[in-house]
Amino acid sequence: MKRLMLGNEAVARGAWEAGVGFGSGYPGTPSTEILEYLASYEEVAVQWAPNENIGLEVSIGAMLAGERALVTMKHVGLNVAADPFFSVAYTGVNGGLVVVSADDPGMHSSQDEQDNRYFAKAAKVLMVEPVDPDEACWMAREAFALSERFDSPVLLRMTTRVSHQTGVVTTGEKQAAARKGFKKDIAKFVLLPSHARERRHDVERRIQAARAFGNDSDLWNPIFKGTSNTGVITSGVAYGYVRETLPGASILKLGLTWPLPTGRIEAFAKTVRELFVVEELEPFIEEALLASGLKAKGAELRPYTGELNLSVVEKMLLGAPKHAATIDLSDTPLPSRPPTLCPGCGHRAMFGLFREMHLRVMGDIGCYTLGALKPLAAMDSCLCMGASVGMAEGLQRFGGPKEKGRTVGVIGDSTFFHSGIPGLLDMLANRSDATLVILDNSVTAMTGGQPNPGTGKDIRGNDAPRLDTATVCRGLGVKRVRVVDPYKIEEVRKVLEEELAAPEVSVVIARAPCVLEYRITRGRPAEVKVDICDRCGACIRVGCMAIHERDGYPEVDPELCNGCGVCEQVCEAKAVLIPKD
Amino acid sequence: MEITNIMLSGVGGQGILTSGRIIALAAMDAGLDVKMSEVHGMSQRGGNVDTHVRIGEAVPSSLIPVGGAHFLVSFEKLEALRYLNYLLPGGTAFVARHEIPPLTQNLKKNTGYVADIDSKLEAKAPRLVWVDAFEIAKELGDPRMVNVILLGALSNATKGLGPKNWEAAIRERFKKNIQEACIEAFNRGSANGRAA
Repeated sequence: MKRLMLGNEAVARGAWEAGVGFGSGYPGTPSTEILEYLASYEEVAVQWAPNENIGLEVSIGAMLAGERALVTMKHVGLNVAADPFFSVAYTGVNGGLVVVSADDPGMHSSQDEQDNRYFAKAAKVLMVEPVDPDEACWMAREAFALSERFDSPVLLRMTTRVSHQTGVVTTGEKQAAARKGFKKDIAKFVLLPSHARERRHDVERRIQAARAFGNDSDLWNPIFKGTSNTGVITSGVAYGYVRETLPGASILKLGLTWPLPTGRIEAFAKTVRELFVVEELEPFIEEALLASGLKAKGAELRPYTGELNLSVVEKMLLGAPKHAATIDLSDTPLPSRPPTLCPGCGHRAMFGLFREMHLRVMGDIGCYTLGALKPLAAMDSCLCMGASVGMAEGLQRFGGPKEKGRTVGVIGDSTFFHSGIPGLLDMLANRSDATLVILDNSVTAMTGGQPNPGTGKDIRGNDAPRLDTATVCRGLGVKRVRVVDPYKIEEVRKVLEEELAAPEVSVVIARAPCVLEYRITRGRPAEVKVDICDRCGACIRVGCMAIHERDGYPEVDPELCNGCGVCEQVCEAKAVLIPKD
Repeated sequence: MEITNIMLSGVGGQGILTSGRIIALAAMDAGLDVKMSEVHGMSQRGGNVDTHVRIGEAVPSSLIPVGGAHFLVSFEKLEALRYLNYLLPGGTAFVARHEIPPLTQNLKKNTGYVADIDSKLEAKAPRLVWVDAFEIAKELGDPRMVNVILLGALSNATKGLGPKNWEAAIRERFKKNIQEACIEAFNRGSANGRAA
């Protein structure tokens, strides 16, 4: 049957067709929807994990029980899950295990552009890469069979433009899953050094077997014979651009990209006079060609960063792009429209306060990373999930008197549960006097409102145990835990001043449910009294889409305004008011 | 048959993804291949958003190159201007008469929006069709209808997609209780686009 599907939806469909019994993962653009779609198949056990490492470990447990298991994450999530990923490569599997990494070339929603194909190579696991949603469906399905056949986890590598591409998918039937049950096998599943040394040889044999399989597979690594003497080796989303740019070329399209089918590549190279490699990000395939002594053009013809598109590939293969802008916009500078915190968001006033108090803010990953953008511009660093806690501790300790008492780590509830807790333990155990601010909106908001351990719901919206951030912090041993309402700016200021001065670890929890995900309207739209406005601009500096400049004065868009009253509180002239009934 | 490239642009939350999906469903109903590309995540928090839709007998890739779109459908004037150079030399822009000021940084005068944007769009677009999408939606009493109204205007120009395909797509995408209202809004958009 043919259906219109998002790439991520197609992965879920393919896993379901393979009879997957368990799905886990942590939300992260562009991977998030896979698990949400998988949850729409009622017979599959699906759950969010607090982080990718746990998601993979629970999936490994399910796999040991004989289930086929799927675990999903964005590319940087695999860094978090790398420890079990490298080890399960040695044990191999019982039920099939498929790990999805959704990479983000061009960094649409990410802090880096790492090419996770190197993870497959480094961990020595099989890797498959679909071109579009149609392939995402059957490759996800067949990846489980590959996993069991070669006794290896399989890395299903997606990219933004495959995950978030919608296309026509030919769906299949659900396969009957043969439940294997747990099998005790100490030499295989207990990675003592003596066992691991034996397993290392099994890993090598498996890779050689999979390479031989890939060399012969017309399904995974098809060759499309062309009419010209030009040949192109390509994989993933790049294939489409190649097909459109050179309809007459011979193409070797790699779907099973680790281990690379070097025999097939060498044989293909001999059939063409001019050889190109077109791949996104690093020269992963090209390096293998060089190692085989094959000459191909590729990486030197394209930018080393960013996504490919038709124009880039046309320039690579034809020397010049066929398409170019013909409309000149250079005489009209356009104001940028960056993403911003939603009107009514509880984070806004906190960042306004950090800015007013001249705090040193070690930020983290979530909606609140937007607090780094103008006009709030109240963040000094942000690296990766959970890093705010340790960085705040280090900066506070070594920043000297200048940073002492003004450094805060700022982290959301989901990120705190993900990887903030060990940092807090470090603060406690090492007698830090740093301050951690948890912006607790009770949901994983940036990725679209997924539940986390503090939400009290599971992935299907059913009630689940709810962990309270304040209780968790007290339970860990934090003596100074203060819970504040982030909409009461002056009260929060006082609490922050007290906790920054305290000579021990403090946690300030700014608690307000996400207005978007919980559909909260906090009040009636603000009104501006232009006659008493002194045009100081304080209301504009809260950085809200609902209030903008009109003829030199602030103007409120009543359709957008949530009535949160932050602009009202910062207006000294009392010109911005939320009407009360 | 050549691939038809349709670029959609606007501000996060305006229903641009839904519009792209309806075009894709209409193409499928017409027996065509379709690929659509969208970006989620950061762009949903009030940032500018684009969706690429490509339809034809066989569509290998999903991104429209700059200078490669037959049609641009914009839900907002500034976002029409921003994406205008995606148009082919003979391309047509369908633009909703609607302004959403971007985030203002200070209170200096006229920092909020591009001055004389209507005349700039008219001067630079190869062909421009204004669509009174927000006014019509207001008359119909449902602001969410803006997307189908714009698609109605677009439908006057998309060869290969007939009224039946569009209707089938709308019926597939929307719940029963609003299907008739959506079809009416689509027809109003079509008439509005023809009159422009």
